[in-house]
Amino acid sequence: MLSAIGKSIAALALAGAIIAAVVAVLGASPIGVFAALWEGAFGSWYAAADTIVKATPLIFTGLAVAVAFSGALWNIGADGQLLAGAIAAGAIGPYLGGWPRPAAIILMLCAGAIGGAIWGGICGWLRARRDTNEVISTIMMNFVAAQLLSWVVHGPLIEASGAYPQSMAIAPSARMYLPLEPTRLNPAIVLAIVLALGCYLLLFHSRAGFELRAMGRNRRAAAFHRIPIARLTIAVLALSGALAGIGGAVQVSAITHRLYEKFSPGWGFEAIAVALVARLNPFGIIAAAIFFGALDNGSQAMQRIQGVSPVLVQVIQGLVIMILLAFDTPAWARIRGSLFARARDSAPPIEPGAQADA
Amino acid sequence: MRFGRTLALERVDFEAAPGRISALVGENGAGKTTLMNIIAGRLRPDLGEVSLDGAALRRGSAVSALRAGIAAVNQSPMLFERFTWEENLALGGFDLAGFDLAAVAARSRALADKLGFTLPPAGATIEQRSVAERVRLEVLRALSFDPRVLILDEPTGVLAPAELAPFLELLSRLRAEGRVIVLITHKLAEAIAVADRITVLRQGRVVARTTAAETSESALARLMIGEIDIPPAPSAPAAHAGAMALSVEDLSLDRNRRRVLDSVRLDVRAGEIAGVAGVDGNGQTELVEVIAGARRAHSGRVSPASAAAIAVIPENRDLDGLILDMPIWENLLLAPALRERFAPHRWLRRRAALELCRALLARFRIRAPGPEAMAAALSGGNRQRLEVARAIAAAPRVIVAHNICRGLDLAGTADVHRALAEFAAAGGAVLLISSDLDELFALCGRIFVMSRGRVRETAPADRDPARLGMLIAGNWQ
Repeated sequence: MLSAIGKSIAALALAGAIIAAVVAVLGASPIGVFAALWEGAFGSWYAAADTIVKATPLIFTGLAVAVAFSGALWNIGADGQLLAGAIAAGAIGPYLGGWPRPAAIILMLCAGAIGGAIWGGICGWLRARRDTNEVISTIMMNFVAAQLLSWVVHGPLIEASGAYPQSMAIAPSARMYLPLEPTRLNPAIVLAIVLALGCYLLLFHSRAGFELRAMGRNRRAAAFHRIPIARLTIAVLALSGALAGIGGAVQVSAITHRLYEKFSPGWGFEAIAVALVARLNPFGIIAAAIFFGALDNGSQAMQRIQGVSPVLVQVIQGLVIMILLAFDTPAWARIRGSLFARARDSAPPIEPGAQADA
Repeated sequence: MRFGRTLALERVDFEAAPGRISALVGENGAGKTTLMNIIAGRLRPDLGEVSLDGAALRRGSAVSALRAGIAAVNQSPMLFERFTWEENLALGGFDLAGFDLAAVAARSRALADKLGFTLPPAGATIEQRSVAERVRLEVLRALSFDPRVLILDEPTGVLAPAELAPFLELLSRLRAEGRVIVLITHKLAEAIAVADRITVLRQGRVVARTTAAETSESALARLMIGEIDIPPAPSAPAAHAGAMALSVEDLSLDRNRRRVLDSVRLDVRAGEIAGVAGVDGNGQTELVEVIAGARRAHSGRVSPASAAAIAVIPENRDLDGLILDMPIWENLLLAPALRERFAPHRWLRRRAALELCRALLARFRIRAPGPEAMAAALSGGNRQRLEVARAIAAAPRVIVAHNICRGLDLAGTADVHRALAEFAAAGGAVLLISSDLDELFALCGRIFVMSRGRVRETAPADRDPARLGMLIAGNWQ
């Protein structure tokens, strides 16, 4: 574990060095750029709070990805599941005016969880019963969710004036507490941490988690030892969808208060990077999500102070992901092995240079 | 050569001469396969080098070893599961340039005929083939290179008796052609019969170099094992009239429009070891899968139906039995009964499972860095011991074991046999499915034969190799 952390830090240092070179080539001062990044991400209480706010949806979606990936179920659809959750929450939110605030907020989150669970569960059912590759079905369900969102904000859920393609604002009682205004820091981060703890206990201390990991490592042996593969596949993709869906509901309840097109900037996809960088460890996901949130937040300050394009941050994110994965060959080999060789449903011992079983 | 904290080979010098068969013998975990992988360039040694005809080979380069004419046959076949056998032979062996599947099939058939091998039906994929069929394909693939050096890792363990003689003859022919042949084996009689020179490895070190003429089986066994006494094989217990422990009724299964199980009936009673004799690929794998609950038969019944009552030790330990990249203690939890015991209420009782694992490692003499080490860190024989330990720890009514001693050395085989005999003596039932007649004669009370998906019980009068051989071949009157 220690060496794993050491590797992550070494990878970050290497990424930093490459980025410094790129920045220098672009004619800016590397030190200035890093200082601006830091300033924007953690330079003030307000900035730090905003970094955490930006990290929150990544924790939910990162956990969603990690839970599914642990069972070698390649859920690429966290974005669609998040949208499904947001749509469910955004649809009931305007009608919760008469409810006490805690109940209304909990209802919002439950709606999000159910929406996401349905979205993920459909792909789980398809995999378990019709042997449909979940990579394809989850990707496709992203588009379905995006189009569904577009339709509801133009049609059934459009705000009263009908002037803008956005939904009605949710009732004040359905809005998340913002105890530290003017920052938008809210209790959702606590929920995210609790869910990370829950995912950790589920994966590493529960029977279902053991069965899930066994299925992820060797589906054939798992079936041989009577692990209920089909049931587990459906349950895990539904759980994965629920986690992402809660992330969507939180965003509606705490930040946007309504739905609109392009609701997600791609949290569900960034989540794959977050989960892989964290090596699918739920606690690692909190750290990785905050790191990515900080990059996102800091990039605006970088642009403001140093005049560097915020696109550079995307370059930084890409470099960090690639370098971290390059430093982590066994984990990558496992993921690659399962991704491209799902047909064999089993893992022979990996010997360097040996002919791989496809 | 080091794997993690385990020193696999220590300062090993090994020489093989052209026109000679050099045997490499040793216990499981002695380092035989590691040495083969170093010679074939699949592993890079920490120290030392491999040279052919005086020229050093690039360390750890499988491609340059192959170019130099070194071909190796693996004990655990490495084939592409979803490809047909012709494609596998085309990819890794025959016809590297053209990829002409028809030519590959023709050439493999010609070679197989020469060896007396039967090939799978045209266009069959690997995933449904038995281990024996896979090994035969590996042998064909290696020979297709027309290799100067041929290394064979336990090739005879899974060959049917009828295939053995032509195979050994082939080795002699290759020797006569001046090739370098290295035969890795723990079958001492075989080493003495075919090899010119014999090198004995023990715990990663060369302990003796000798010739077939100078040594004997017992001398080799002592060298291999060192100080450990080999416990005598238990004598066959008399057929026991205990209560019914496993009953299989009218099991039928079709696969690819071929009947692989044909109204199979058999029963095992408490306290007995019953055997199923037969050549691999006659439905044994499917029978085990159905009993394990991993495959559903089209008709018929297995009782008891409860998962906890039956412990299954499958033939393919690396693919079905164990999950190699999980810790050893978590591998124990794969057994449904142990999962029930150590996770009765949703949560894993990690500490208790670790404790059991430690106890089993000691009791079954499994050489492992510890319960938290990955199962992949175990050698083949220790993986098998782990599976047996898990089955016995699950305290089932019946253990179903399929070819469990394949690839095991003398001490490992004796340990496994003794564990099963003790289990039966304590009132457990064992169904031992094996292609090794000696093993079945030594252990089993009643013996069934399996041929083309059918099973029948043999009479006590059939209990000799010639009679049983007829029955195995399907001549039932």
